[in-house]
Amino acid sequence: MKSPFSAKDQPADTKAEDALAQEAEVELTRSEKLAKHSKKAAHHGAEGGKDLAGWVDTRTNSSGIFTAMMSRHVPKGTNWFYTLGSATMFIFAMQAITGVFLAMYYTPSATQAYASITHLTNEVFLGEFVRGLHKWGASLMIILIFLHMARTFFFGAYKYPRELNWVIGVVLLVLTMVMGLTGYLLPFDQRSFWATIVANNITASGPVVGPYLADFLRAGPDFSATTLSRFYALHMLVVPGLMAALIGAHLFLVVKLGTTAPPWVRMARPKHARPTETVAAGVATADVADVPVADERAEETEAPAEDESDSGEQASS
Amino acid sequence: MSDSKNDNPSAESSSRTVLPDPEPRGYFEGESLTRRKVFVVASQALGGVAAAAVVLPAVGFALAPVFSRGEERWEAVGSTDDFLPETYRQVVLTETPGIGEAGKTTAYVRQGSAKYEEDPAEYIAISTRCAHLGCPVRYVQAATNFICPCHGGVYDFIGKRIGGPPVRPLDHFQTRVIDGNVELGPRYSVTNDLKAVRTRDPGEFTGGIWEYLYPPRPTTFPPPSS
Repeated sequence: MKSPFSAKDQPADTKAEDALAQEAEVELTRSEKLAKHSKKAAHHGAEGGKDLAGWVDTRTNSSGIFTAMMSRHVPKGTNWFYTLGSATMFIFAMQAITGVFLAMYYTPSATQAYASITHLTNEVFLGEFVRGLHKWGASLMIILIFLHMARTFFFGAYKYPRELNWVIGVVLLVLTMVMGLTGYLLPFDQRSFWATIVANNITASGPVVGPYLADFLRAGPDFSATTLSRFYALHMLVVPGLMAALIGAHLFLVVKLGTTAPPWVRMARPKHARPTETVAAGVATADVADVPVADERAEETEAPAEDESDSGEQASS
Repeated sequence: MSDSKNDNPSAESSSRTVLPDPEPRGYFEGESLTRRKVFVVASQALGGVAAAAVVLPAVGFALAPVFSRGEERWEAVGSTDDFLPETYRQVVLTETPGIGEAGKTTAYVRQGSAKYEEDPAEYIAISTRCAHLGCPVRYVQAATNFICPCHGGVYDFIGKRIGGPPVRPLDHFQTRVIDGNVELGPRYSVTNDLKAVRTRDPGEFTGGIWEYLYPPRPTTFPPPSS
């Protein structure tokens, strides 16, 4: 079903004809696809093995996945505000990479943590720079998340069918803050020690479960030897793992559902819609406009021409 | 799908009953489970057991510290002559051994004073941990008050809150005298009437309904009976 309007308001006999024609069309596109595939195989050799990239592509369809992700349709009016999510993800990657290298010099022990931080900052080559990236990147990530969130909110991009992606994003925000909390303790100077004490006591002041939650975080009734390693494990293993998985889900939904046009880009009415049909047609258009053409359809034919926001430019990045 | 009619041509003529076509397919009459269903449920159950065998110990491992109480520690902080009833003397004690400076805390200790209807043979040890969010308070002799540097909490001479955000009086440490030395033991919290209760974290109210909203944790020691 290419267009939601094709089957509307037509006598029953033409409907049946339509169905036949559509079936034929589906058959055609299938054979087209096969032909395309065999052409690709011929290009790459009998088993697609002329070069390594071709060999891998034949077995994984990686170029198809790449095309689906990187050259999907985006609505008209897409602008720089749409890069805030990618910017946040870039900072996450930077935090992961610098974090791995910081872990090479860091000792998560209450008696040695501060000394190892001093050593890595003052004596290790580029240590101050790498630690600085990690430290300032943490603040930058929070700022970018809120800007990204603001863009989504003010553009109305959290609405159907993207509510789940908003929810995932909020969980990611909370996890990022947990990263901030657990990472703050690791330098183990006066500031981080007392900040953690205060944060733990705020946790404890939640009624009923608070006291137990604080005991869980501290691994006991007081700050102890286990507290630092617990925070370290949460900071570098548990929370980043969760975040990576959720970022994957977040991206999958972005690719699957597409992005929304900014609210100032007006939705076009279908050309053949008569005034009396505006309401029904309007509802149908809204659905189509909100869900830009999925990649497969884009490969087969041109996007339906009746919808302006669908026939937008191709994203180049 | 074997049909009994075709397999057995004599079935119709003989007195043998013909089984009806099962509905739904694959089920015989009166049967509640197919073979496939049994195997699906069984393999899922096995998978569940395997997952639980890994997850439960891991969760227990992470949660264990919530339920275990450490060893009771008593530490000598000075001889009985060092402490007077009308002023406090600051002492340093180790609350958590093995983590260096981070495991130490300070307390203010004085002799029991007749002015507050206390036994002169008793010693009172006030924790410096502010009842607001846990910053260290200091005793100011000129004002005979405890003052917190973080958010302006103020406590009077016996540790009762007289100003600022704290939610209860300052905590105490248990005290005892062994061979002329004053020893400090486990920490305990007090209600606004200075009644001893199990220690709470800063920010938690004590007494009345709060004893239920902030339940005592298994990691803490019972309060001294007084």
